[in-house]
Amino acid sequence: MKERAIPIMKHFWRRAPGPLAVPIISLGYLLGFAQAAMATQGHGSPEGLYAHQIAHILFAFSLGVLIYWLREHSLIENSGWRFVQYGAFFLLLWNLDAVLAHHLDDRSDLFQLIDGGSWNARVHFVDNSTKVVLLYYFAKLDHLFCVPGIVFLYAGLRRLLQQVQQSS
Amino acid sequence: MSFPVYPIWISDLAGSALMILFSFLCVRLAGKLRDQDRTNVVWLYLLSVCYVLAAFAVSRSVGHIVKRILITLDYENAWTLVRPYSGAINTVTFIFVASVTLFFGRVWKIYQQILQDKQAIQETHQQLIFMNRNLENLVAERTRELALSERKYRRIFEVSRDMLAVVRDDGTLMTLNPSGIEMLGLSSDDISSGRRLFQDFFETTDDWNFLKQTLEQMGYVADTEISMKRADNSCFSGLISGGVQDQPGENPGSHHFLVKDISYRKAMEQQILQADKLASIGQLAAGIAHEINNPLGIILGYTQLLIRSEKENSQNSEDLRIIEKHTRSCKTIVENLLSFSRRSQTKKAVSRINDVMDEVISVVRHHFELEKIGIEKEFDPRIPVIAVDEAKMKQVFMNLIMNARQAMKCGTVRIETRYDEPGHKAVVRVRDEGTGIEPRHMTRIFDPFFTTKPTGEGTGLGLSVSYGIVKDHGGEILVESEVGKGATFTVTLPVLEQTISVPAEDGAQRKSQSGS
Ligand SMILES: Nc1ncnc2c1ncn2[C@@H]1O[C@H](COP(=O)(O)OP(=O)(O)O)[C@@H](O)[C@H]1O
Ligand SMILES: [Mg+2]
Repeated sequence: MKERAIPIMKHFWRRAPGPLAVPIISLGYLLGFAQAAMATQGHGSPEGLYAHQIAHILFAFSLGVLIYWLREHSLIENSGWRFVQYGAFFLLLWNLDAVLAHHLDDRSDLFQLIDGGSWNARVHFVDNSTKVVLLYYFAKLDHLFCVPGIVFLYAGLRRLLQQVQQSS
Repeated sequence: MSFPVYPIWISDLAGSALMILFSFLCVRLAGKLRDQDRTNVVWLYLLSVCYVLAAFAVSRSVGHIVKRILITLDYENAWTLVRPYSGAINTVTFIFVASVTLFFGRVWKIYQQILQDKQAIQETHQQLIFMNRNLENLVAERTRELALSERKYRRIFEVSRDMLAVVRDDGTLMTLNPSGIEMLGLSSDDISSGRRLFQDFFETTDDWNFLKQTLEQMGYVADTEISMKRADNSCFSGLISGGVQDQPGENPGSHHFLVKDISYRKAMEQQILQADKLASIGQLAAGIAHEINNPLGIILGYTQLLIRSEKENSQNSEDLRIIEKHTRSCKTIVENLLSFSRRSQTKKAVSRINDVMDEVISVVRHHFELEKIGIEKEFDPRIPVIAVDEAKMKQVFMNLIMNARQAMKCGTVRIETRYDEPGHKAVVRVRDEGTGIEPRHMTRIFDPFFTTKPTGEGTGLGLSVSYGIVKDHGGEILVESEVGKGATFTVTLPVLEQTISVPAEDGAQRKSQSGS
């Protein structure tokens, strides 16, 4: 994933003539992308996917940084910040999980969706790559990470608020 | 091998709903946190993270829910249309959340920095308060010291026996101490009104002009004798010194003066001068008197011889008697002169002053009754014995009483004796209600031959002789007088230290041997 994303980024930045051009080009790109999406539905453009994946990685990275600083400044000694840290950790896991899920999305060589529209839809595995498929199936249950993440964040905030209210 | 998809869908729907719910709850909590302290950047950071998380949750979860609904309702095409938007928005919100989250380290540092600054400011504030309080104490202490010193100098100013005055350039009296107020016969209101001029209290304007000139030239005047005038126009001599006020902050062009009342000293000097004068006159007079005394004795002797040889009541004998009378009066004058010059011996004996006085009074009483002039006496029985030449003392009192009578047409002469215990002195006062003595005569009444009485009536020797006698006894003779109201002569004599006792007898009944 990374090795594929980086050449694209390099390519993008090489094309950029100057810092001022970046917002203009990105705006044009966005519009062009939207048009392309309209025109070529079903053929998910790899750029969109890559951007999405990079965003996930970036988010994961920033959460990692947050955890690092929380630990570095010994904030986790406080239960409120500790919960925030747990939240960040779960969200980080969720991001990694999402990256994996997106990576495996639309791999028709591995599995197929049968009866896609109904509640009886099933995933059918093409060959015996069961481990990967199980991983995908599990990865698709990404809310198992992000919901605890935000709940921990909520709990952390509540603690912090309580502490602040008590001390004042 | 296949798996059902619905668990994924269910988790998708439920999870999305929960994400939205909790992200909003987080926003609410972070908002409350921020409200606790609006300046806290960490809360601000958390709030913004929550906001973008909420935006992300909404965008993502709404996408999932819409997708699920559209696919379930068999609108796959519609979903294909919406999908790129949902995906793009999702991507953007990710980046957003990621970038906001990334800033925690920086935010925390800023927060710490702010806390440190706050601490530093608080410490400085504390220090400032401390210094301020210290300064207050310091100022309070200085003020106390100042007040003390002020009080000290004020006391000096107030209790000084000399006049201390602050005077403006034009002479306006600005400050005058109580002694000054008393010396000039003013009231304190006169000064506070600020309309009194210092030069008005000088007898001559020349003095003031001279003072001002000296001050201008030298900046000070030292011990200059001036004659000052009280509010009631009576005069006194003063010794003035002063300087120009040049302290910064004081009224410029003002002067301060110190005036000493030297009237008493002047009077003393006058008395010494008088004594000297009398002494020299006395020496001269005594010499002459002695020379004249002998020829007078011879003239008197021969005259008396001739009278004896003449027939009684003949013309010659009448003439001789006139010669005898005048020679006698010449002799009295000469004897007076001699006694004034202290040539004649004083024979002191222990006696009681009240008794001496009584004897004098008994001699003159008849005379006074004829002239319808009263005599009042007030004796102090406590007066101890004194060593005096009674004959001479009687002469002194006689002189004083006769002078008093001569100064009056009617009225009473008051005779008073008093014991001045602390001074060990007997004080005798003779007070009359007569014409009084004019100030210009005051200095001369003790001079020999000074008299204001017509010839024949006064010789001008009475007081000078009395003066000599009193001085001889170690005493003093003083005079106070007010023109038109009378005069008071005071004789003070030192009493004996209670060593010799005289039999205590009622003074009035005691007969004196030396009286006649
Ligand atoms: N009690 C008095 N009242 C007013 N004047 C007096 C009195 N005693 C003395 N004097 C004045 O002092 C002068 C001198 O007095 P004194 O020496 O006794 O000489 P005299 O009585 O012969 O004149 C008097 O001429 C008189 O002017
Ligand atoms: Mg006389």
